Amino acid sequence: MKLEHIDTDLALLYMGSRGRDVSPLMPLVRECEERLLKAVDPRYTYRYFSLDKTEDGLTLRNTDLILKGNSIAEHLRGCDACILLCATLSAGADTLIRKLSAEDMASAFVTDCLASAAIEAVCDAAENEIKDKLPGKFFTWRFSPGYGDLPLEIQQKFVAVMNSAKLIGLNVTDSLMLVPTKSVTAVIGVSDTELPRSVRGCGCCNMKDTCRFHKEGYHCGS
Amino acid sequence: MDLKRLIKEREFIFLDGAMGTMLFDKGLKMGEIPELLNIEKPEWIIDIHKQYVSAGSDIVYSNTFGANRYKLSRSGKTVSNVVSAAIANAAEACKGTDTLVALDIGPIGQLLEPAGTLSFEEAYDIFAEVIKAGNDADLIVLETMTDLHELKAALLAAKENSDKPVITTMTFEENLRTFTGCGISAMAYTLEGLGADAIGINCSLGPKELMPAVEELSRCTSLPIVLKPNAGLPDTVTGEYSVTPKEFAQLMTELIPLGVKFVGGCCGTSPEFIRELKAVFDGRKYLKPEPVLKSVCCTPANTVFIDRPRVIGERINPTGKKRFKEALASGDIDYILTQAIEQQHAGADILDVNVGLPGIDEKGMMVKVIKALQEVTDLPLQIDSTDPAVIEAGLRCYNGKAIVNSVNGEEKSLLSVLPLVKRYGAAVVGLCLDENGIPKTAEERFAIACKIVSRAEALGIDRRDVFIDCLTLTASAEQDGVFETLNALERVRKELGCQTVLGVSNISFGLPARETVNSCFLTMALTKGLTLPIINPNIEAMMQAVRAFNLLASYDKGSVEFISHYGNSQAVTKTDNKESQGVDLAYAISNGLKGEGARMTAELLKTTEAMTIINEMLIPALDKTGSDFETGKIFLPQLIQSAGVAQSCFEVIKQHLAANGSASESKGRIVLATVKGDVHDIGKNIVKVLLENYGYEVIDLGKDVDCQLVVDTAKAKDVRLVGLSALMTTTLPSMEKTIRLLREQLPECKVMVGGAVLTPEYAEQIGADFYARDAKESCDIAKKVLG
Repeated sequence: MKLEHIDTDLALLYMGSRGRDVSPLMPLVRECEERLLKAVDPRYTYRYFSLDKTEDGLTLRNTDLILKGNSIAEHLRGCDACILLCATLSAGADTLIRKLSAEDMASAFVTDCLASAAIEAVCDAAENEIKDKLPGKFFTWRFSPGYGDLPLEIQQKFVAVMNSAKLIGLNVTDSLMLVPTKSVTAVIGVSDTELPRSVRGCGCCNMKDTCRFHKEGYHCGS
Repeated sequence: MDLKRLIKEREFIFLDGAMGTMLFDKGLKMGEIPELLNIEKPEWIIDIHKQYVSAGSDIVYSNTFGANRYKLSRSGKTVSNVVSAAIANAAEACKGTDTLVALDIGPIGQLLEPAGTLSFEEAYDIFAEVIKAGNDADLIVLETMTDLHELKAALLAAKENSDKPVITTMTFEENLRTFTGCGISAMAYTLEGLGADAIGINCSLGPKELMPAVEELSRCTSLPIVLKPNAGLPDTVTGEYSVTPKEFAQLMTELIPLGVKFVGGCCGTSPEFIRELKAVFDGRKYLKPEPVLKSVCCTPANTVFIDRPRVIGERINPTGKKRFKEALASGDIDYILTQAIEQQHAGADILDVNVGLPGIDEKGMMVKVIKALQEVTDLPLQIDSTDPAVIEAGLRCYNGKAIVNSVNGEEKSLLSVLPLVKRYGAAVVGLCLDENGIPKTAEERFAIACKIVSRAEALGIDRRDVFIDCLTLTASAEQDGVFETLNALERVRKELGCQTVLGVSNISFGLPARETVNSCFLTMALTKGLTLPIINPNIEAMMQAVRAFNLLASYDKGSVEFISHYGNSQAVTKTDNKESQGVDLAYAISNGLKGEGARMTAELLKTTEAMTIINEMLIPALDKTGSDFETGKIFLPQLIQSAGVAQSCFEVIKQHLAANGSASESKGRIVLATVKGDVHDIGKNIVKVLLENYGYEVIDLGKDVDCQLVVDTAKAKDVRLVGLSALMTTTLPSMEKTIRLLREQLPECKVMVGGAVLTPEYAEQIGADFYARDAKESCDIAKKVLG
């Protein structure tokens, strides 16, 4: 997909702006935005799976992926299927940030924050496409491995099932990090009937007690 | 039957189709390891191979795509178990036919450094294990690769651990690049150099979408071309492929004029596809492409075609540079990187890399510097050393096609350097000197050039990869020699057709107004046919000469590049003046004016002591931005900007001190590392810049750092403060382990920790002395510990 622009307000929030005068920084932010947009080749892949309830948790049909834990069960309550989504801003983002780190740390940091905001936009675009493809269906929001008690350890199985290394170049390291680093994996519940409004964002985030955004009344955007 | 005969005797060679797609039809679940079926369900595998054999495949790929120790690590099976079972299954299916069995090898499943954590050397070992286990196959296939470096590791492992032919294919997207940014020409030139037997493209797209990729490939290689596309593009929701076997085969015939020799299918294809392919290709003739191959050096993302003068930057070289020597001796790689970036911005096309300094491990340093350079620049490198062992180490780890600097007409040099150039598929600079030194006349130098070219060709190195250096002598000492050099160069260019190299700056040694002499000589040489000037691109007069020449010689069509460089030069000067008015160092620092800061520091050094500048201007300015940050007046990017300006001021001071023979003062050493398993190092890098500003010497171990290495470095360098960073909960155990090892082996050393997932409580729990909530706080901690 082609990314036209980045939500710089969100990126500035990641940089720690929180109500400060950002105008002196804006020339640099614009310059970094332009370079980042040129350097990336955002991609996503998603797939529809029927859900089967088993003893261990929720199994995705025709796979050996099981979603365990209360949080995901709660998230997918009322859903008989789900979409797995893998999205990445591409290796270009990491390469650019790495180059800038050797050149000018301020640009590197600003670009890193812009990239974090950009991957959210990629996920939004994917989600919109999914909704267009499945008219009449109802969806939950994006729930990622590591949220609540859904173990981060499923990350490897997740990308194996999605074949994401081959399809969009998204890999997982032994320490369960996504590479390229500006990437997202998420589960979106699908239902034929309207879904109850579930808690979203900070309420179910593992970081809510320590998060500086949350403490100061802001939201990280994910 | 063997591959060489197949290539010779058949118009086209038919490969097989998908294995995975067939296995899913038989009941394999998504996410399961398909290679285990070689042992658990051999009958499935044999059946699939047989279907391809009877459909007409000349070669079948064994079911070993992911049969490496990394992917099998949790399966309970060894590589040798799985691979030998897979080869036996394929051989069983091919029994009684002419069909060959290829040992199929895909990507490891872990990205190599710098994107991931796997080193090139580990990748080599992983591939070597698979290749040894697959010894009973007829040939080796390396496919679906997206990282040229990983593919190089695999190809070297194949060449060095077997004598089988090797076919390699990479996976390209519509933008004609792989996911990691590798271009088609870079793949082609690198792999042909490394000795692949056939190269091509597989997976990702259908035959129709791959047409532009094959078109480009056919212009870049003399090897047979391999094509194994998907059955079109998969449906985004269901993953189903849409192109039918008939359509697929028809589309493939359209690629015959582009020179495809090996044809087959990837994801979504089946034996029916191969049967159709065979039917429609019947009676068609192979059309061998006739590409005009060029002199090239490259990195994955940047192929430099030497079809016009290309500038080789000479600055990464310690000769005559005190600051550079100091950096090499102290292992200050960052300084070397700044030299690379500066030259790149100035317009260099290629960078010469020389790290020879008495008393250092040149081989280790060459590898370290090449790896670090390739993380931050796409410019191809010229590996410059007099020691063949250093050259080999550099060539081995280099990602792309490098240049070797140099071989000469001496027997010893020819015998030791040229085989390395051949083995690693590099280009080489040939110096026109031999046992008797540098000959005086153009004729004698030309004769040595001829000798080097013919010796290279005897080893299979094409002359387009031999770049002849007719050697610049100093005009002040040997004035008559200037035209001997130029005349020799002209003959080499005209009669041998080789590219030509000259180290230009040598000409003016011992003369005043060196820039004038250098740029004049450069222009003279360019008109005689110099294609690879080795110069200092930071000297504007030199780049002006090259750009003006390119314009006048019609390389720069429509003067586009020249105008883009110089069209606005007046306006630029004006802004400079405006900015300089009423600006002092403190203003430059608080407003992030990097160039200004460095320029003013240099100016101040003419009248003011270095220590006075540091203590009375730089430190107070830094303290002010520090307190502005703490009170919330400015935020993190602004703090880093200020730190960046200060850093450039300090660098000017360091150079000044080094030139005057005095060393910069250090307030103490600090080791910084992003812990094992963690690849996010931006936070650590920010901390580093700030600590350096406050006068601490930072030993930056990088990311994904082995726990014991932190301890060993701290011990060896007598370090009293270690800073550790981690971004993910999954890597906190590595942080804890590193602290534990430090406590056991170096109890007096203090530890500060930071990173997104850390809290003061957790820091205490894992035994850290300090928790740093941000980069500024880490400076306060350093002050507390080291003063």
